[in-house]
Amino acid sequence: MNSTPPETDDALFVRSRGGEEAAFVALYRRRQGAIYRFVLHMSRSAAVAEDVTQEVFLALLREGCGYDPDRGTLSGYLFGIARKLLLRQMERGRVDVPLETETEDAAIPELAVAENALEDLTRREGIEALRRAIGTLPRRYREVVVLCDLEEVDYADAAQVLGCPIGTVRSRLHRARALLLDKLNHERRPGPSVSGLNPIRCLT
Amino acid sequence: MNCQEFRKSIAEAGENADVLAHSGECAACAAVLAAHGRLQAGLRTLAAELHHTEAPGRVESGLVAAFRSQHRRVRRAEERQWWIPALSWAAAAGLVMAAALFLLRPHQPQPAHRGAPDMVELANAADAPDAYAGETDDGFIALPNARGLDPAEEVNVVRVEVPRSAMLEVGLAVSADRVSELVEADVMLGPDGLARAIRFVDEPSM
Repeated sequence: MNSTPPETDDALFVRSRGGEEAAFVALYRRRQGAIYRFVLHMSRSAAVAEDVTQEVFLALLREGCGYDPDRGTLSGYLFGIARKLLLRQMERGRVDVPLETETEDAAIPELAVAENALEDLTRREGIEALRRAIGTLPRRYREVVVLCDLEEVDYADAAQVLGCPIGTVRSRLHRARALLLDKLNHERRPGPSVSGLNPIRCLT
Repeated sequence: MNCQEFRKSIAEAGENADVLAHSGECAACAAVLAAHGRLQAGLRTLAAELHHTEAPGRVESGLVAAFRSQHRRVRRAEERQWWIPALSWAAAAGLVMAAALFLLRPHQPQPAHRGAPDMVELANAADAPDAYAGETDDGFIALPNARGLDPAEEVNVVRVEVPRSAMLEVGLAVSADRVSELVEADVMLGPDGLARAIRFVDEPSM
């Protein structure tokens, strides 16, 4: 087993800047899927996802593109550009997802669940319900779920992308998961949401 | 660990030994932990399903075209940057040579007063010196290969600007770093319109 480790993003970036097309293509093929899916989840529009993905890599081609390896990973940098472009599209009204104004302290349900409500979450029906639930999350929670849970971006990179401390990423993710559970519970058992029920008491 | 600490801990650090220990003692928190685990499993399944969703191939084609176009432009710009100083120097040298040749070569006859717009006719020098071999009393120097003037011939004197390098042609010293400067000179033209002698104005070497 003498397989050589894959070339790092930074090495591909340097060779790409030097005019090596193969390096640019390799870098694009490695990172485009995650960028495209992130924008697709956030915008719910394939056309927007396509445009933003193209713009992100065009930005990488420009002189003085601004990527600094000392400030974070190339992947985080690409997600950051994608997010900025996406927000611009939202401001222009091209994306049919409202910009939220809620604060970090908005009421979030407890991380609780009705019995057996999530048993089939890995089955087809459950996956579709989960996808729908993610799509209805407020933007700030949807983006952490997409980045950290679906694209497996680590917390440090996610903090770089979102421009916030790692602690904020953790707390948003926790709230996002609580909201997801609440939505899933509510979908399967129409009626008052978990957040509307009396909290479960624990006497331990 | 109590339930409140359990919730805080699961939010900040995920599952750890304390969380697991508490969930073993509290059924409600155990249910929360189980739900949390099932949600994570569902998210992993969804991520795996979506993993093959990618940008259409036309995005890559467009980007490769943009990459090629940009690097072609960069290469051209680099080539231009190399040629610009070389071409500038060549053009400057050519202009100096052309100006010198224009002044020193025999010309076709033409009226002296039909000079270039920046020429100023100074005098109809009817009382020109008798002979122009070498430098005359009034500072005119005979141009190489120019035909001598008959004392009876009528001459015109015009003032022009010439490259300082023209002084070299009549044997005057010129500093190398000032070769391309322009200096004022009086050129004596014969009745045939050809330059016969030159006098540099306000030059210390005169």
